[in-house]
Amino acid sequence: MMAAVAQPERNAYGSSVSKLISGKPAMIHIAGLEKRFMTRSGETVNALTKVNLDIRENEFISVVGPSGCGKTTLLRILAGLESASSGVIQCDGTQISGPRPDVGVVFQQATLLPWNTVLTNVLLPAHLQNDKSQARMKRAEGLLAFMGLKDFAQKYPFELSGGMQQRVAICRALMREPRILLMDEPFGALDAMTREAMNMELMRVWSEERKTVIFITHSIPEAVLLGDRVVVMSPRPGRISEIIDVDVGRPRSLQTMATSRFGEICDHIRTIFGAQSLTATSL
Amino acid sequence: MSAITKQSRSHLLQSIAVAVVLIAVWEGACRHFDISSIILPTPSSIVVRLYALITTGMIWPHLWATLIEILSGFALGAVAGLVIGAMISLIPVFERLVYPYLVALQTLPKVAIAPLFIIWFGYGLTSKIVITALVCFFPVLVSVIAGFHSTDKDQLDMMKAFGATKWQTLLRLRIPSALVLIFAGFEIAAVLAVIGAIVGEFVGAQVGLGYLIVTLNFGMDVPGVFAVLIVLSAIGLAMHGAMRYAARRYIFWIRRSEAPVML
Repeated sequence: MMAAVAQPERNAYGSSVSKLISGKPAMIHIAGLEKRFMTRSGETVNALTKVNLDIRENEFISVVGPSGCGKTTLLRILAGLESASSGVIQCDGTQISGPRPDVGVVFQQATLLPWNTVLTNVLLPAHLQNDKSQARMKRAEGLLAFMGLKDFAQKYPFELSGGMQQRVAICRALMREPRILLMDEPFGALDAMTREAMNMELMRVWSEERKTVIFITHSIPEAVLLGDRVVVMSPRPGRISEIIDVDVGRPRSLQTMATSRFGEICDHIRTIFGAQSLTATSL
Repeated sequence: MSAITKQSRSHLLQSIAVAVVLIAVWEGACRHFDISSIILPTPSSIVVRLYALITTGMIWPHLWATLIEILSGFALGAVAGLVIGAMISLIPVFERLVYPYLVALQTLPKVAIAPLFIIWFGYGLTSKIVITALVCFFPVLVSVIAGFHSTDKDQLDMMKAFGATKWQTLLRLRIPSALVLIFAGFEIAAVLAVIGAIVGEFVGAQVGLGYLIVTLNFGMDVPGVFAVLIVLSAIGLAMHGAMRYAARRYIFWIRRSEAPVML
């Protein structure tokens, strides 16, 4: 149903998806989230402080910020890999306290199991639930075909390029048909050309299988191109400095990046970083 | 693919050519300078002696005994290393209680305790098997522990994020990851096994290639000693080759160039 709302060939700028669905209650609710680490020397480091964020169902949220701003920590808490020191972090009204079956994660590294074939890697989440049914097999094969990896199902990860490995990782994350997709700089290790192709691929996936996506990156254009909203974070202590509505219509393409509105938003984000007197490590 | 095999074939030819030249120089020098065969026998006399050892059947009981010592010792040491290494890696209490003593034992030169084993286990095969097992045990133990420590953190996170239980993570991730280093340990242990068996036989034995070397040496039969050395290095190469073959088969995802190359 959401897909029906968000799919129209609406090119007029200013009609952002997030505004269209703003009537819905938040799916993910984060309020006053704090995360503190102890360093070896006994100092306390605030990885995240006073983080407040509401994410609506089927929204695409980009999180951008320099190294050390806590964006990965935020994602790890959402994935249930780490726990919050204090604060509320809820999904559908319940506190996230561990990994959830309705969440798929894509990491910076493809993290495929090298001794398993591509198909077995994609099936991993099903196998972990001891689900070896024919339906799961169909789903895995369907995902691989959708990602253009049909002929590679019986290959091993080391026979694939970096971009292909990451596509396999995306298939694996989608295996259990998650409602939420968490992506931690998934294209950070890829070259610029492959990265752009993967961005387009991801938008195609998202238009096909609507999900709530939280996408971490340190590339400003990538964040703006993909996101309904861009969460801009800043370091020491890690916090959200601004949340920006990307009022650029969909579907977007690489040409979108040449439009003036797109440029304005990117410039605005750079200004935020500039105001924090940080060097432009972010682009 | 074919380019690679072509290249490795030409490398093989080159090493054979080097060996042929070296042996020719050796043979020529021995004849030209009339070197006594007690000091350095000619390659041809070694080959003749080796042929005689084989055709008279003299070598077989010794070869058989040493092979049993090497293979049983290696198997025993490898299994013990695998089991104890896995326990140390996976059971924290065990690591705290046992590991310090194992480290202390490891620093001991195993050769130095060989005479004790002869006293405890006698002149027969058992003492040599125990020495060989002890020599093989440590490289396997260390490689198992290192192997379990080498599990990729990102992959552990990935398994956790997809809801894997501890047991699933062990079977699907940690054990396969550990195999890479475990096979490196096997490779070292396979070569050390030959040393262990021979050292054991030197210390006290009635049969075996090490015993044969001592006997031939005593009789000034230096070509015979060299002939046994050739047999020993053939055993070592075969052990090493078998481990390489197993590694290529069971940890196929590691390309040879990336594998930890030891020895």
